[in-house]
Amino acid sequence: MTTYFMSAEVLARAVDQWQDSAILGPLVTERLAWLDSMDTSGVSSMSILEALRQPRAAQSLKGVMLPASESLGRYGSRAPAATAIQTAATVVLGVRACELRALGYLDKVFLAGAVEDPSYRARRQRTTIVSCDCVAFAETCFCTLVGGRPFATGGFDVNLTPLEDGWIVEVASDKGRKLLGSVQPAQATGEQLARREDVRRRMTQRVADQNKAFSFSAGDAAAPKLPEGGDDGWQKFAADCVECGGCTNICPTCHCFYLYDQTPGPSTFERVRTWDSCLLNAYHRMAGGVHMKLSPRPLLLSRLANRVLHKYVYSPQQYGLAGCTGCGRCIDACPGAIDIRRVVQELAR
Amino acid sequence: MISDNPYLPWPAELIEVVDETPTIKTLVVRPEEPLAFRAGQFVQLTVPGMGEAPFTPSSSPLEGQRIALTILRTGTVTEQMHQCRPGQVLGLRGPFGKGYPLEKLQGKEVLVVGGGVGLAPLRALILALLAQLDGIKRMSIKYGARCMEELLYRSEYSRWTPNPKVDFTCTIDRPQAGWDGRTGMVTTLLKNLDVDKANCYVFVCGPSIMLKFVTFELVAEGFHKDHIYLSMNRRMSCGMGLCGRCNIGPYYLCKDGPDVNYALIENYPNVF
Repeated sequence: MTTYFMSAEVLARAVDQWQDSAILGPLVTERLAWLDSMDTSGVSSMSILEALRQPRAAQSLKGVMLPASESLGRYGSRAPAATAIQTAATVVLGVRACELRALGYLDKVFLAGAVEDPSYRARRQRTTIVSCDCVAFAETCFCTLVGGRPFATGGFDVNLTPLEDGWIVEVASDKGRKLLGSVQPAQATGEQLARREDVRRRMTQRVADQNKAFSFSAGDAAAPKLPEGGDDGWQKFAADCVECGGCTNICPTCHCFYLYDQTPGPSTFERVRTWDSCLLNAYHRMAGGVHMKLSPRPLLLSRLANRVLHKYVYSPQQYGLAGCTGCGRCIDACPGAIDIRRVVQELAR
Repeated sequence: MISDNPYLPWPAELIEVVDETPTIKTLVVRPEEPLAFRAGQFVQLTVPGMGEAPFTPSSSPLEGQRIALTILRTGTVTEQMHQCRPGQVLGLRGPFGKGYPLEKLQGKEVLVVGGGVGLAPLRALILALLAQLDGIKRMSIKYGARCMEELLYRSEYSRWTPNPKVDFTCTIDRPQAGWDGRTGMVTTLLKNLDVDKANCYVFVCGPSIMLKFVTFELVAEGFHKDHIYLSMNRRMSCGMGLCGRCNIGPYYLCKDGPDVNYALIENYPNVF
């Protein structure tokens, strides 16, 4: 790893060079949405960098690796050929530590199992990740409660830390080095690195202070003791759930999907993958007659419990990683104002 | 038979359709390449353009080129499967899951309990064990169906039992004209069995409600929970533990099952 210091103007020149690749980054708006393909001719690199000083974007990195809906290929009367997956080289700018942690989780799911997921692998390999420390955070951010920090120490190609007078730029891979191109920055000084440590320490403390009301601590190796989904304690929260699936869509680790087939032409069939949600009744529903039990979780409280248990209890068992990175997006998204921090706080024994 | 793209099916020609009962047909398919599977592993059968559904082959794992899939007509895709005619090209993905733990059965007694179309996957187990009867102490098969007409594989029972190591008993739910066999639920066949329970493995497949009462009956009769293997009913899509919908606690039935021992799952909610 090499750590540089750049003025905003110099870093902006580096960002200018990435125009050949699709840059996914935070859009300069109040709400900081991800742009699907940012047209940097419309937005100056300087204003992109300024936007990075705002809290995390509304959407996470998930959709870049696992689109909401995608074709998995066509099939018919011949053996399926290796499908060429068309993905442009992409630079993702402004990824936060919580999203990198979520990406590590998705890597475990889609790349470390018995079978590698070809389209996830293709997208992952062609993506260069430029992460950024948080110097502001949302009211719903709680990474410190689940063993996270508002800055990344790994998992990126380049990491940025905004300081008052410029940027600390940490390069961690060859991909990252290539991104800097012709820009020749100076190494960060000890004094600059000390200021980075200071920013990081203060931000961590501020996120922890914001969450003082919550006393649980969870993480990759520490699952809170939550009641199983048959317990009535869940009903209090399920009563506020409108079963919209917003929390699972916005979650950076939720990866459940649904496969369906369509017929784009005569004797041509296509298999499509689309996001699905374990909160929805139809998600579990099996075929069968009226006298049969068609869903193992007919009650909404069981489905809500299953989601939270998967994040906090099952994921550490399955992957050695927590399924919740404390990004707080599900809290923002929920029309019923369900706060997963409160759920864990009140139900953990 | 898993290609670079594990989501796309391989072509498999439908070579025979057997009418088993008024609601059940067996589709025999010939995959383009022989399918190597273990008894109890399952495949996803695709009706092109319509979708796929999971089935554990009911045929012997020794026959990789004639895969029999016994299908109850119960929903949109299975309705389409019942309409299929020989010659049609369907799609196959798999095999998925662990399969029955045959390696644990060496020298043991085996109790097979089926309900309705649940006898289908168990037939693969029965055929696999019949091919290596020397390895086990004995096999007892208990089967229940709603009515006489719904008894699956009726012509085969006598072929399973010539060896004294194997016995077969079946029952139908209620008395019926022309039936002089046993009546009552399949649980009634499980009372006071003359078996060495500590050394007996049980394999159960059937509808949820049947799995529940059979399990409770078996536990009450003194069978060991970790020797009771249940073929759990869950919706399965990807087959590889990715799509999420078949979980019981931290286990994905498509990957860790579909047959799981009861001790592993008993403390999770919504098992049955």
